Amino acid sequence: MTRSVAEAVTDQSGVSSRAGGGRLRLPTTSGWRIKEAPAAWLLIAPVIILFGISVVYPLIDTIRLSFFDIKGLAPAKWVGIGNYITLFNDPTFRGTLLTTLIFTLGTTAISVSLGWALAMLCAFAPVHTTPFRGMMFVTFGISEAVSGYMWLNILRPDKAGLLNAIIGIFVPGYAHSWLGDPNTALWALIFVASWSGVGLPLMLCFAAVQSIPKTVLEAAYMDGAKPTSIMRHIMMPLSLPGVRVAIFINLLGALRAFDIIYVMTGGGPVRATETVGYFMYRESMTQFKLGYGAAATVVLLVAVLIISIPAIIQRTAGAK
Amino acid sequence: MFNRTLRRRTVMAGVMLAALAGVSPSVLAQDLSGELVILQWQTGTDGQMWKDVEAKFMELHPGVTIREFLPAGTQGDPRGGIRTALLGGEVVDIIINTWPAFRAELVNSGILRPIDDQWASFGWDDKLSQSWRDLGSIDGTTYGITYTYGDRSAIWYKTAQLEKAGITPPATWDEFLASFDKLKAAGYPAPVVIPAKYWAHTEWFETLLLRTAGVEAAAQLAAHQIPWTDPKVKTALMKYAEMLQAGCCAEPATMLAIEQPYPTLYTSEDSSYLLFGMWTNSALKNDLGLTEGVDYSIFQFPSLGMGFDDTSSVDAKELNVTTNGANPAAADAFLDFIVGPEASNIMANYGYASPSTAMDASLLGPVQTIATGAVSSSKVQFVLGDLLPGDLVDEYRVQLQKFLQNPTEATVDEVLAAIEAKAATAY
Repeated sequence: MTRSVAEAVTDQSGVSSRAGGGRLRLPTTSGWRIKEAPAAWLLIAPVIILFGISVVYPLIDTIRLSFFDIKGLAPAKWVGIGNYITLFNDPTFRGTLLTTLIFTLGTTAISVSLGWALAMLCAFAPVHTTPFRGMMFVTFGISEAVSGYMWLNILRPDKAGLLNAIIGIFVPGYAHSWLGDPNTALWALIFVASWSGVGLPLMLCFAAVQSIPKTVLEAAYMDGAKPTSIMRHIMMPLSLPGVRVAIFINLLGALRAFDIIYVMTGGGPVRATETVGYFMYRESMTQFKLGYGAAATVVLLVAVLIISIPAIIQRTAGAK
Repeated sequence: MFNRTLRRRTVMAGVMLAALAGVSPSVLAQDLSGELVILQWQTGTDGQMWKDVEAKFMELHPGVTIREFLPAGTQGDPRGGIRTALLGGEVVDIIINTWPAFRAELVNSGILRPIDDQWASFGWDDKLSQSWRDLGSIDGTTYGITYTYGDRSAIWYKTAQLEKAGITPPATWDEFLASFDKLKAAGYPAPVVIPAKYWAHTEWFETLLLRTAGVEAAAQLAAHQIPWTDPKVKTALMKYAEMLQAGCCAEPATMLAIEQPYPTLYTSEDSSYLLFGMWTNSALKNDLGLTEGVDYSIFQFPSLGMGFDDTSSVDAKELNVTTNGANPAAADAFLDFIVGPEASNIMANYGYASPSTAMDASLLGPVQTIATGAVSSSKVQFVLGDLLPGDLVDEYRVQLQKFLQNPTEATVDEVLAAIEAKAATAY
């Protein structure tokens, strides 16, 4: 019964259907393509030029650099795919792949599930929870460098660290170096990154829940459904589009994470928190092996594309 | 007519050239003008000291204006920012450099101009000994003029803490290890602070290597003429393990999280000893307002009795001039100025020692006097980490972090094998 309610809502919402069962048809460009194309190109030209300068050219140049051996200020030497072969034979890089996977999945899972859960709860009292949602969203707006410095103090290794002080209330004298212990450093970073990332899933899922027609919720109440049932069978399924977007954005953000690692751990201790993004920085900017760093960048880019393309295809399907 | 005019002009030119040749460089320097660009990467008190030095130079040469180019920082190692700036086309006259390996990289890229002619014409032999000239040379050609140096085998301590513990600065390794228990009993739970987040944990190994194997072995290791698995290297690391096992320090995880700059470390009430560069002196004096020799002092690394107690690790900073600088005359004059009395004395007042004989040694405080005395009576070796190829130094630091976590003989073997594996591909 409830499944059919969700289906009915989808049908009523008009997002994917129109009354009468026809698919939503956005205005096509075919009618004015030939006549107005020059004007359209002129209007988007500034964006295309900026995109070319700031994205396409650096991208092509990074791919080009990845085929060269460049160490320090020495002249570049063509090595073909040599950097890629070295990269995948480099145990440090292989370690960073695993670290990146754990960091990305951990951060995304925590921030999205927490954001989604909070959105569900907030949906029951949308007006009263506005300040709370606002505060949670602020974390998304804080620069990662700033939040990194803030969390450095919270996670200080001595008793003056806020977290240790709180634990110390229950365990007198407790002091753990969360960021200095290789067993806890990555999880501490995942927690901090999740804290920063929870605001966006909360807002996206909340918006998805708010878009559910009130009539559906009222009907469920009139049918005697309990709040938990409404949440489970109506709100959760119907907020899935928001969850998908949140997962997509969080995955990309976590894959490219750099600032928070740079500020909080510098990839350490003993490379325990070195992700591909940080490896790329270290090889390119500290070691100044530009070709090798560029190869790592291309690998990261491919990973981002693997995640992005299906999501983009899914989001744009039916938009013609 | 034409020939007579030409002859007269030739004679005039010859006379002028002869006159110019007879004038000393310092007199010529009075007529300097234009902008002088210095690639300067030091911040805080050191940055302020540079501003004072530059202001003095501009006071002496009113026609010259100095512009500092500050490269983007990369976690304590400015080389990445310097490379980015130079590759990006930034034109500078002078580069401040502290890494001999980086000087070689700059020379190989054709960026640095030799300064042998200037050395002769300005008479720098009167101010700097041959050993300082050798330090700035590559294959017999001089590229760097050293303007300051530091003792990297000096252990800093807080005088009040040692007094409270009832101990005097330890002279031997055994006394040093024995002092830990007394300091702990006096309320300082981690007698030695080792900030191991990035690089400072390697300092102990480097001096221990000198004291157990000598400067020759350290130089051979830097050039990879002996492997990292050599028993001499293992002995040094085992001595380091001895210190850790004697309860010198906080938990490994705490050491691996510490990155705070030295003034913050110094304000900690947990620790007493710190092995760190001489820039600590400037920071303690100028940033914390402490009194050199009263609130804090140093003692030279305790003797191990293994035949190499007359060795010390040193660092130095030098100036390099570029081939494409727009104002080479002013750059050369600045090099002369930096080893002259005005600049040396400004640095001495900040707590830095200059190798120049032009420095008024009476300006040095008690800590720098101990340090300069120790260096002058030692066989010295440049900081190992600054001599290693960039790729290797990173592995070296990470492997020593692993060592800190579990300082056993098995770990030592494992760590040295890993560094050696990297060294095999790094040269």
